[in-house]
Formats: sequence, structure tokens, C-alpha cells
Amino acid sequence: RLQGKVAEMENFASHLEEIFLTVEENFGRQEQHLEQHYNDVLQTLSQRYDDRAVGLEEEKKGKLEALYKQLLACGQAMDASKELIETKKKHDKWDLDFFICSIAFFDEFAKEQVDLTLSTSLEFNTPRADLSDVKTMMDSINVVPAPSAPVINPQTPNSATQTSLRVCWSLFSDDTVEYYELYYRPVLEDTPADSRLPSPPVIKQRECTSCPEAALIRWESGNTNPVDSYTVELSEMGTDSVPTCQCLIQLQTGRRYLISVRAVNIGGPSCGSEVITVSTTGTFFYLLEDTAHPCLSISEDGFTMVRASMCKMIRLCGFRCVAVLGDLIPVRGRHYWEVEVDDETEFRIGVASEDTERNSYLGANNTSWCMRHILTPARHKYEFLHNGLSPDLRITVNPVRIGVALDYERGTLSFFNVDLEQHLHTFQCHFRNYVHPCFGLDNPGVLTVHNSIEAPEYSFV
Amino acid sequence: SRSLSKMAHTQVSSNKCAGGFQKVFEHESTELKCKMKFAVYLPPKAETDKCPVMYWLSGLTCTEQNFITKAGSQVAAAEHGIIIVAPDTSPRGCNIEGEDESWDFGTGAGFYVDATQDPWKTNYRMYSYITEELPKLINANFPTDPDKMSISGHSMGGHGALICALKNPGKYKAVSAFAPICNPVQCPWGQKAFSGYLGPDRTAWEAYDATVLASAYSGPPLDILIDQGRDDQFLSASQLLPDNLIAVCSEKRIPVVFRLQPGYDHSFFFIYSFLSDHVKHHAKFLNA
Repeated sequence: RLQGKVAEMENFASHLEEIFLTVEENFGRQEQHLEQHYNDVLQTLSQRYDDRAVGLEEEKKGKLEALYKQLLACGQAMDASKELIETKKKHDKWDLDFFICSIAFFDEFAKEQVDLTLSTSLEFNTPRADLSDVKTMMDSINVVPAPSAPVINPQTPNSATQTSLRVCWSLFSDDTVEYYELYYRPVLEDTPADSRLPSPPVIKQRECTSCPEAALIRWESGNTNPVDSYTVELSEMGTDSVPTCQCLIQLQTGRRYLISVRAVNIGGPSCGSEVITVSTTGTFFYLLEDTAHPCLSISEDGFTMVRASMCKMIRLCGFRCVAVLGDLIPVRGRHYWEVEVDDETEFRIGVASEDTERNSYLGANNTSWCMRHILTPARHKYEFLHNGLSPDLRITVNPVRIGVALDYERGTLSFFNVDLEQHLHTFQCHFRNYVHPCFGLDNPGVLTVHNSIEAPEYSFV
Repeated sequence: SRSLSKMAHTQVSSNKCAGGFQKVFEHESTELKCKMKFAVYLPPKAETDKCPVMYWLSGLTCTEQNFITKAGSQVAAAEHGIIIVAPDTSPRGCNIEGEDESWDFGTGAGFYVDATQDPWKTNYRMYSYITEELPKLINANFPTDPDKMSISGHSMGGHGALICALKNPGKYKAVSAFAPICNPVQCPWGQKAFSGYLGPDRTAWEAYDATVLASAYSGPPLDILIDQGRDDQFLSASQLLPDNLIAVCSEKRIPVVFRLQPGYDHSFFFIYSFLSDHVKHHAKFLNA
């Protein structure tokens, strides 16, 4: 009975832990929302202030200009009047003509009303500030944000029958959702009885990997209407029909292949997708950007990673290995790639199992193996880590181009100084699953992956 | 003719091993002026093809027997098609006064130098024996590829392997060592042997010191593999001094991979455990 109690308590404890984590997460989200909302409000207010200030400035300008003009006009009028007085004074002698003219002139002049009224009002013309939208924003702050629109997944082949349909959609993990509402209506199409041909699929270049014996091709369906299956074609040779959007094809070593995909339904096959070239010279993979630590930026071509000197995210991410995974290598046999670093780069280079825990440090667990370079004030230190342990090694010439040789059959992972063709270390592993190549940077620096390289003779003996 | 008889040798023993043959021969050495035994392992490949040769130099107190019976070299040699030659560690039966007084000087302790001091200089010419006389004999009498030679050894033999490679740039295609005496001028063993064989002049000693030779090395690139037991009593007794060699090689950019093996001592059990890694290392260069 005691054992039962212990089990119960353990369950309860882990349940509590889960809740703890969820609460933490949820509060984290709330904090983020709050920050965002207040930022928006402050921005809006700041914008309003700017607008108002500009308005005031313009008003001021306008009024001052008008007054100035009036001042000028007054001044001119005064000058004219003064001149006349002078002129009159000069002509003391009574000159009849002049007298008649000037009297008439004076009469006219005196009749002119001197406009002594101000051209501008003395009042401020303050428009009422419209802060109603700010008020709305403030009011909405404590409200749970409405969820974003879910995204309906494209229809998968064989997901519909004559009377039913399977609809799948994804939600954003940030959203709190109580329930979904699914709306549908039939679309009346006046298409002929035979179905239209499907559209060609689109091959996802960045998600294709290859190695000397095979290539893994992945594509997007390219069709919203149901597709029965796909065929993958190499030049004229086609594969059997494939139900999902990926296919591993066996190929011959040391060749280049042109590959395209067609979607097939009852009506027949689509046109071929755009062709991609696959080379089976060496093993080829991209870095998976969505596995990258936020402090890493991946180059556009997908093969260089940079850790900047000042990364604001580092504290937010806590203690997570600053690393990125390469695409899985899902083919047994031998694989080789090279990594370029410089003398000062504190790197971790190796492989990690499919099921490795993403946040843990490469080499610190029993699902990853890596070569690690540490800079100490005295010297360069090299470790070959698995399960947190490393052999005790000294290397006299620091490698800057490292060859990595993976042999699934033999269960070995070897590292070489490529420039010297020097063997550094070999792990004897037991690969239960396929692995991802992995790359980490423990200090700011740059690391570039070179692949599709034919394995040098010395790398697999 | 005279030269032929000088290079003549007689078989002392032959045992089939790992598909090949472990043999021991005896001959009259011109450098050492005495009868010398040496062991030769012929892999299966030697029956039909020329093979590269790896020279193994043993340590203090050893003969040609220790390595061939305790090190487990034959399987790896057979796998990679390499002939392994294991000579003795000093001239024998020369009746020099004092040659049997210590285990670390004289008999079984030739230190792979050419002695310049009496009473050693006539017979104690192990450096020339290993680098000149023995290879000529081997190449004349066995199916070897004379261009493909490499050298390895343990302790005093590790010192021998390192100095032979460093003093003869390009002669040896690969070099490796187990617990070598890296800096003999700085350790008690080296100081005792060198003062006895080479006299008091330290510059004469430096010509046989791997650390000193490395600092002045210029020649084709080397790739040195060294294994060292962490629990080796002679390491802690400061006889081996690998840190000195590593420091110089780091500075002079001579590629070395030095592996400190936890729990291992100075014995043949240690050599046995890592010998296949070394044979593989040599094969990479010998079979290229």
C-alpha cells in the first residue's frame, strides 16, 4: 500500500510540475502581451503629442505672420501720412491749385478708414485631442487577446470520401483557444464530369538532403483539391506512386540527377514540378533554421552561422546551448562533411540523435557526440565529448578545417584536421537512431559548413 | 662474396601467426660487431606482394622476444599487409666491463645512439644499426617496398623512434610512440646513458634528444601519434617529460596527437591495448 501511495504522490508531483510549467508559460505570455500593449499605447500617445506640437507650431507661425504683415502695412501707412504732413508744411504759401488738389487729396486720404483692428484673433485655437482610440487600447489591455486565425492545412491525399472529409488545421501556440467553429458550404462548380488534372507540386529545395547512395526529396502538394499520390521522376525513370510529400530514392554514387515530382489523381498526372538537381558526390544537408538558438543567425545560403558579440536574447534564453542542427541524415552508410572555423572560435561540432533534448549542451548527454574547442589563457584545449566525458588529448596544431566522418554501420564518428590530413579522434558509438549533424558556438564567432564533398580516402579506413 | 656473407642471416624460429609468419633471425652485425637477433613478422600479403616495413624499437631490458609475444601486433599487421621488424635493444655478449651493472645502462639499454666514449664506442652503435645496417639487410632479404618504411617504439624505443624520424627527414613515412622518453637530456635515464655513451659534452647529447631535434626540425611534414599511460610510474618520476615535447611541437607547428590514457601503466598491457591504433596510423601512410 505504501508503494501505491508513493506512486500516487509521484504522479501528483509530476502533475504539479506540469502545472507549474504551464502557469509559468501562461504568465510569461501575459507579461509579453502586457508589454506589447503598453508599448503600443505609448507609441500612439507619442504620435499624438508630435502631431499636436506640430499643429501648435504651425498656428503660431500663421498668427505671427499675419500680425507682422499688419505691422508692416501700418508702418507704411504711417510713413505715407508723415510724408504728406511734411509736404504740406513745405508749402506754406497758398498755392490755389495745389490747395484745391491737396485738399481733395487730403479729403480722400482722411476718409480712408485706418484699419486699426487686429488681423488675427488673440485666442488659442485648441482643437480637442481625440484620444478615444487610446482609451480603447487601454480598455483592451486586460482582456485576453483574441486568437489568431487558424491555418487550414492543405488537403492530404485520400482524406475525403464521397460523403465525408477530414479537415486539419494548425493553431498558433501563443493563443488560448476554448473551442473552434468550423464553417463550410458546398461550392457549385460547373466542371465537366471527369476531374481536372492536378497542379504540379513544388519541391522544397531547402528540405532536401542527399548522400552518396540516396536522396531525400520533400515537396509541397501544390494542390488544394485532393491528390491521390505523387510520382518522383529522375529524368525519364519514375518511381512508384508515393502517398506523402516526401520520398527517399536510392541512387548511384558520384552522379548528378535531375528530379521532379508529379501529382496524380483519377484524372491522371500533373505536369512535372520544377526540376531540382541532386548530386550524389557527398552528403548534403542544410542547417535547420528553426532549431537555431536565437543568438545565431544563419546565412542566406544556409551554410554559415554567426554568433554576434552582443546578443540581447542570451539572458532571455537562459542556459541553452548556442547551437543549430543540420537536417537529419536518414540513410545508413558513410557520410562526410567539413567545418571551417578560425583559431579563436570555441566550437562544438558533432552529431546528435533524432531524439536528443534540444536545449542541452552538445556532448553533455548520451545522445550527442562532439568535438569541442576551448580557449584558455594558457593554451587551446580540445575535448571529444559524449555523456559529458572526454579523453585526455593534446593537439599541437590547431585545426581550422575539420573533417567529420560518420559511419552508421561501424558505429564510428571520426574527426580530422583536413589541412594536415591528420586523424584527431574516433568515437565508437552505438547509433540506435539516425542522427543530425550539429554545430555550436560557445563564444562569438563564425562557423561554415562545407558539404557535398567526396570523403577523402583517409577518412574511412 | 664477402658482402653477401655479411648480410647473411639464419632463421632461429618461425611460427605461423594471424595467417602470416612470426620469424626470428640471427646475423653478424658489422656496426655492433657481434651476433644480433631480430624478429620479422611477414603478413599473408608478403607471399605474393612487396610490403611496407614498420620498425619497432623496444624499451629498457627488452630483447626481440618481448614485443612479438606480448604486444599483439600480428593481427593488425596481417590486416594492413605490413612487415614488422623488431630488433634487440643493445649489442649482446660483447663482454664490456660494466655492461650488466644496471638495467638502465649497457646491456638492454643501448638508447639508440652511436657511442663516442670508451669502452662503448666499438659496439654500442645502435643508431647506425637501426637506421642503416638493418634496413639494408631487410630490404635485401625480404619482399619489402624499400621506400615505404616507418618507425615506432616504447619508452627508450619511443625515444629511438622519435629521434630516428627527426634526424632523417623523409626517410620514415610514419612515426608513433608509446610512453616515449621525450627529453632525455633533462631526465635521469637520459643523463646517465648519454654521459656514459657520449661523454660530458651536452651538445653531443642534444643530437639524440627528440625535444631539441623537434625545435630545429625542417623537413617533410610529420604526423606523430603518442600514447601515454596516465598511471605510468615513470611519467610521475619525470623520466618521460612529454609536456616538453608537446610545447616545442606546438610552437614549431609539428602535428602531434598526444593521448593520455587513464588507468594505463608502462607495461606491455598498455602497448597491447593501443597497438592496433598505431598500426592503423602507420598503414595510412605506408599504404598510401
